[in-house]
Amino acid sequence: MRSKKVKIINPILTLLTIGVFWEFVVRTLNIPNYVLPSPSTIFSTAAKYSLYLAFNLLDTLVAALMGLAIAAVFSLALSLPLAYSEVIRDSIYPLITGFNAIPRAALVPLLALWFGLGAVPKVLTAFLIAFFPILVPTLTAMITMEKELWEMLQSFGASKGQILTKVAVPRAMPYFLSSLHMGLTSAFVGAVIAEMVASDKGLGYVILSSTSRLDTPLAFACLILLALTTFVISKVLSMVERRVVKWAYRVNI
Amino acid sequence: MDPVVQLRKVSVRYGNSNGGLTAVADVDLSVMPGEVVSIVGKSGCGKTTLLKVIAGLVRPVSGEVLFNNKGVNGYSKGVGMLFQSPLLLPWRTVIKNILLPIEIINGDLESYLSRAYELIEKTGLKGYENSYPWELSGGMQQRVALCRALIHKPPLLLLDEPFSALDAITREEMWNLLQEVITYEKCTTILVTHDVREAVLLSDRVVVMGGKPGRIKSELMINFRRPRDLMVQYTKEFNDYVVMIKNLIGD
Ligand SMILES: Nc1ncnc2c1ncn2[C@@H]1O[C@H](COP(=O)(O)OP(=O)(O)OP(=O)(O)O)[C@@H](O)[C@H]1O
Ligand SMILES: [Mg+2]
Repeated sequence: MRSKKVKIINPILTLLTIGVFWEFVVRTLNIPNYVLPSPSTIFSTAAKYSLYLAFNLLDTLVAALMGLAIAAVFSLALSLPLAYSEVIRDSIYPLITGFNAIPRAALVPLLALWFGLGAVPKVLTAFLIAFFPILVPTLTAMITMEKELWEMLQSFGASKGQILTKVAVPRAMPYFLSSLHMGLTSAFVGAVIAEMVASDKGLGYVILSSTSRLDTPLAFACLILLALTTFVISKVLSMVERRVVKWAYRVNI
Repeated sequence: MDPVVQLRKVSVRYGNSNGGLTAVADVDLSVMPGEVVSIVGKSGCGKTTLLKVIAGLVRPVSGEVLFNNKGVNGYSKGVGMLFQSPLLLPWRTVIKNILLPIEIINGDLESYLSRAYELIEKTGLKGYENSYPWELSGGMQQRVALCRALIHKPPLLLLDEPFSALDAITREEMWNLLQEVITYEKCTTILVTHDVREAVLLSDRVVVMGGKPGRIKSELMINFRRPRDLMVQYTKEFNDYVVMIKNLIGD
């Protein structure tokens, strides 16, 4: 039987192996730092710039999380009228799908033009990229229901509002919460892109400026930080999920 | 006494006028208060459709549906329904699932709480009030669904193959339970089933439907006193009924 310890230790071992192999390759082939820095160089760089990185990470983190929060609230709020009325759905949903087809990165210059170089365009970009992957599964879960369940509710004389609040919304909660994972990575993508295009702060900016002066180890440090951060937040989300919608995890597959 | 349900020359079509399908044609059916009527017939002959017409979920293209002497337009509010799958809400405990109809109908949970516990007791679910549906066996889930169908004292109980997903032993238990409950509640009941033995055992009258389009072929009174012991299944009379009905369905 695989114990919980093994589940944690195994990926760490894999990671360490990759790290050692990476270090070995870079050293033996004498690959220059600006092409591919070795793990040890990345860590020493990260340590040297730790305060600088921390401030910039905080900047990205705040923007991404605010974008995600707004996206979550907005998606949930929007899914209610969309689920409530087919007419509303038919008149709004195609527009949303159409909007989703626009590469949001292309909007960043416009957002910067309207809102300057501060946090606003970052939060907005994060929001714009994150809301669609949250809205779609949430709405789908709300409007798909066993026909017989719907008929039974009708036979009690349930109103549309009652069906929505008593069945559709609780039913959609697991889908909503799990879609936050997708939303989370999307929000980080949005924030980082905005920082690359129109900001002088945040990890996106640091990646751009460091690569432009061939400080590749610093860029790698940023990437690793980003990965770690989203990983940790994702874990926290999972924990919340399992608490809030315990019923959805009735089987452990 | 007036019938609880009256269907007069009811026909139902699905789909539009040119490409549609007549699922039920010219059905006449009356069900008296307290009566238990089973509808049997081959798959696709329109049994479920007929139940939906009675519940007001499907509108007939012609004919008349009377529920307590009033025309049904919109939903026959207040009928209790039980389907093959229990359709419990997994985020609600047993007691909250049972009280769902009350929440929707009038929100007066307080006055129905004791009734909910009474039904729980009767259906042998005592101790599981605060369990979640997924913590229960299939038979127990179906018993919860039965409680939910009965909580608001429906004047009519509509059952659509309610036990066909259960194993033979559990099904017999459910037969006993259903008899007990509908006798006690004096509930008028319409049962759709594939199982001829089930129909004979549980009902006062068996209605045989034939398909394409669905019509009532014949009706048969079952002259055993209700509630019935499961042993009645092994009598000659019972088997004569079963054979007769099978023949009526068959040709
Ligand atoms: N929503 C629907 N739309 C179109 N056709 C339908 C619909 N529901 C049922 N039908 C058709 O109407 C006919 C009767 O269906 P119904 O479900 O009433 O049969 P049934 O006797 O309950 O069958 P079974 O024993 O398999 O449950 C079938 O031919 C079916 O294909
Ligand atoms: Mg059916």
